[in-house]
Amino acid sequence: MEELKDKGMPHTSQKICDSIQKHPSYIGFIEEVQKLVSSSNVSVNNFNETLMKAMREKGIECHMKNNVFHWVASNKKYKMDSPIVDLAFFKRAQVQWDKRIHKSLNSMCSELGITLARARSSQDREELSEKWGELSNYDIDVSKYRPVYAPKDFLEVLLHLKSPNCKVYDIDPNWEFAHLPIKVKDLPELRQHYGELSRGEQILGTHTYGTLFEAERIQIGERVLAQHYAPVAQEYLKRGCPKNLRSEMWSLVLGADINMIQSEYYESLKNHTLYYDLMIDKLIIKDIQLTASNDDQYFVFEDVLYQVMLCFMRDGDILKHISSQPGYMQVILKGKQPTSENTMTFPPSGVIPFHGFTMYAAPICYLFQDPLKLYYVFRAFYLRYWHRLHRVCGHEQGIVSICLLFERLLQKFEPALWHHFREISISPIKVVFKWLMRAFSGHLPPEQVLQLWDLVLAYDSLEVIALLAVIIMIFRKDNLLQVTTLTNIESVLADISSINVIPLLQMALLK
Amino acid sequence: MKVTFCTDLDKSVVVTNCEKRGWVQVGPEDDWNIYWAGTLTCKSLFSVDSGYRMSDAQIINHFPNHYEISRKDLLVKNIKRYRRELEKEGNVIAEKGDSKYLHLDFIPVTFVLPADYNMFVEEYRKSPQSTWIMKPCGRSQGSGIFLINKLSKLKKWSRDTKHIFQPQLAKESYVISRYIDNPLLIGGKKFDMRLYVLVTSFRPLKAYQFKHGFCRFCTVKYDSSVAELDNMYVHLTNVSVQKHGGEYNSIHGGKLSVQNLRLHLESTRGKEVTEKLFDQISWLIIHSLKAVQPVIASDRHCFECYGYDIIIDNKLKPWLIEVNASPSLTSTTANDRILKYKLLDNIFSIIVPPSGFPDTRWNKIPTKEAMKDFELLIDEEIIQNEDPETSEKYGAKYSSMYRWR
Ligand SMILES: Nc1ncnc2c1ncn2[C@@H]1O[C@H](COP(=O)(O)OP(=O)(O)O)[C@@H](O)[C@H]1O
Ligand SMILES: [Mg+2]
Repeated sequence: MEELKDKGMPHTSQKICDSIQKHPSYIGFIEEVQKLVSSSNVSVNNFNETLMKAMREKGIECHMKNNVFHWVASNKKYKMDSPIVDLAFFKRAQVQWDKRIHKSLNSMCSELGITLARARSSQDREELSEKWGELSNYDIDVSKYRPVYAPKDFLEVLLHLKSPNCKVYDIDPNWEFAHLPIKVKDLPELRQHYGELSRGEQILGTHTYGTLFEAERIQIGERVLAQHYAPVAQEYLKRGCPKNLRSEMWSLVLGADINMIQSEYYESLKNHTLYYDLMIDKLIIKDIQLTASNDDQYFVFEDVLYQVMLCFMRDGDILKHISSQPGYMQVILKGKQPTSENTMTFPPSGVIPFHGFTMYAAPICYLFQDPLKLYYVFRAFYLRYWHRLHRVCGHEQGIVSICLLFERLLQKFEPALWHHFREISISPIKVVFKWLMRAFSGHLPPEQVLQLWDLVLAYDSLEVIALLAVIIMIFRKDNLLQVTTLTNIESVLADISSINVIPLLQMALLK
Repeated sequence: MKVTFCTDLDKSVVVTNCEKRGWVQVGPEDDWNIYWAGTLTCKSLFSVDSGYRMSDAQIINHFPNHYEISRKDLLVKNIKRYRRELEKEGNVIAEKGDSKYLHLDFIPVTFVLPADYNMFVEEYRKSPQSTWIMKPCGRSQGSGIFLINKLSKLKKWSRDTKHIFQPQLAKESYVISRYIDNPLLIGGKKFDMRLYVLVTSFRPLKAYQFKHGFCRFCTVKYDSSVAELDNMYVHLTNVSVQKHGGEYNSIHGGKLSVQNLRLHLESTRGKEVTEKLFDQISWLIIHSLKAVQPVIASDRHCFECYGYDIIIDNKLKPWLIEVNASPSLTSTTANDRILKYKLLDNIFSIIVPPSGFPDTRWNKIPTKEAMKDFELLIDEEIIQNEDPETSEKYGAKYSSMYRWR
């Protein structure tokens, strides 16, 4: 927000107005207002006042406020304290990485003798359409496909980042991130940011508070939902969300409302899936098979995940909205003339799934029965947060910052453990990176993941993920200090299903 | 002096649990304190001919006539009798409305064949379009089960089976139950719940429900059409059936934890209806036990862990399908192993008195700590003492159900 203030309020409001006018729901909104103006509630004599009053009563004002809130939330820019830092090298690294992935996609294609994109045969289309609700029965062999990259490959890339500004020699660049010129919060700053947690306030998710507290939270939560004002909902999440209100609370905070436009758009994505056979489809199918389908917490959602992920992969809005601008290729549909209508941006969403990508969506399946609602909440979550966890960027919420935060906190909290890792030359980040990259999804039980993500939304920050990773390590410190090999360390941390997120975070942040 | 145990089951989960407690394994002829036995071994041990007399320091994992609850026909008989008796007493629990029991309508309408054939036909005629399920009374694991949607099919089946010269099979009795054709589906698939209930005494009734349990999913989408009537992968949730299907996944084994089911239901259906569902489940467990209470020989040496099969319909009403006296202790997945290990551990923790030595003279009131992941469903002794403090202390959350009795 700082940079917005710099240029002054008029500039910002102009930008917001412009962008809201371009929003697909704008037309409907104007129609509503027009209807209101012609109603008896608004009088010519006292036009301004009566219109405002009528808008407030109809909930249009709230709707507008929510739009501004969502705009600000998704247009937050860098807030670097040291302006001398050149962040372009992050961008360059991402471009390089994108190129490498694209190359590996292409070589996988030629290896398997397939193309990136082609039109489906009508027979295939029919089968797919018929089995849309049970895609696990859609006959497709993906045994030869393999994930393009896994978290550990991505970590390699990150560990090789070299800042042009940094000339420190005694740091082993492939071991940690300390040499990168990024500022992360220290413990007092985190305590301030996560005020409710560090003050030890009652938060839902700690077992010590009984049903009375939950009943109270539900009562307040219902009032919050009735108000339908996003910033209040976000504030509400800070003290934990009852299970029965979570789906609506998240939709509200993320601005993932569904109306005609959204459902038509989703339908168009489905149609795109029916008409075009993309190489990326198989990759995401493979990913679902490797993760959710084999997971006793998510297998029941296999079919809905197929639907949602296939649509997601061809959602061009994502490419438009990701601030870090992923790379893409222009490909010509197989066997077609190279005209513009036969050319496709590939991947259409700019997203190439890594091993475990499905885990960004899987926990959300617990909240919705309707794939449409699931889709938009997942998409909003991705656009606001998850894309930063699998792309190289210098954003204060990006994966590099999260890694660095993890390291700093570990060093500070538990120097002994840090030294232990140094001595056995194992980088602690290696052990926890998959947790960070998947925001703990698939590693913690669903309810715990959802509680953690409540906090991500509540404080509009991914930092809590790094914090949790540190605390889990510290929690297992005694066992970790006794082992010296990577395998043994991994086995100490393999099963974290008994972790209770909220109490642990509270313990760490409590003064 | 060490505690000794004996088992005729080749299940590591039993042996490891006992050994972890420092108990020593002995043979059936030796002096054992705890016997974890199959039902057949139990039967012969309890039979008059065996002449075996247990001492105060010996306990065993079955009641002599557990079949009163675990045989499909006897369970139904006992429940029917229980309802009638309550009704005669004028008990509010047996209240009726619309010719149905308001609070005790928790098993699908069921008849024993061939004995109740005429009654069945009468019921069948009331709604000839419904589907029925035929189950042999004495078998398990889905064996011998089939679905029927026409009376003529049943007639044909009975003619056919008579021809086969297999006297023991021909004599086999069946139950025929109204098929729950509107089960709650998740991901389009049918499932049932397997819950564990420990009974340490029937008179007074002392029962505990295990917090963990799982849902067993079919591998094929649910489809109530006639064409799929014979497809057992659609209709029967038994793991022993499903694992033969091509879609079976041995990593998760089609098992979703009850906690996760609850999370999904609370998130999508709301808190109140979910809580009501789980309360109704506890309610039906208690009343199924009350129904057999007068007929089961409440031997002080016995305890038993039952596996309850429950189906939830799409209106979130739970239905009792059957009660197993020897629920499978085989682990199909890694998490299954953890669950069953914990189950056995927690059972032993409840049945052994604080002294650490089995003793049938003990009042069988474990401490809250000893209950671990079991929750007290009912302890009539505590309720009788009507000491609200004690019942609170032991966490009897359902004691309030008995306020009218
Ligand atoms: N009345 C019914 N309605 C719907 N499904 C049923 C019904 N009875 C049984 N089933 C299905 O068949 C399975 C096996 O039935 P059950 O009575 O448990 O016999 P078994 O002893 O063979 O396990 C159940 O787990 C359930 O999936
Ligand atoms: Mg059964």
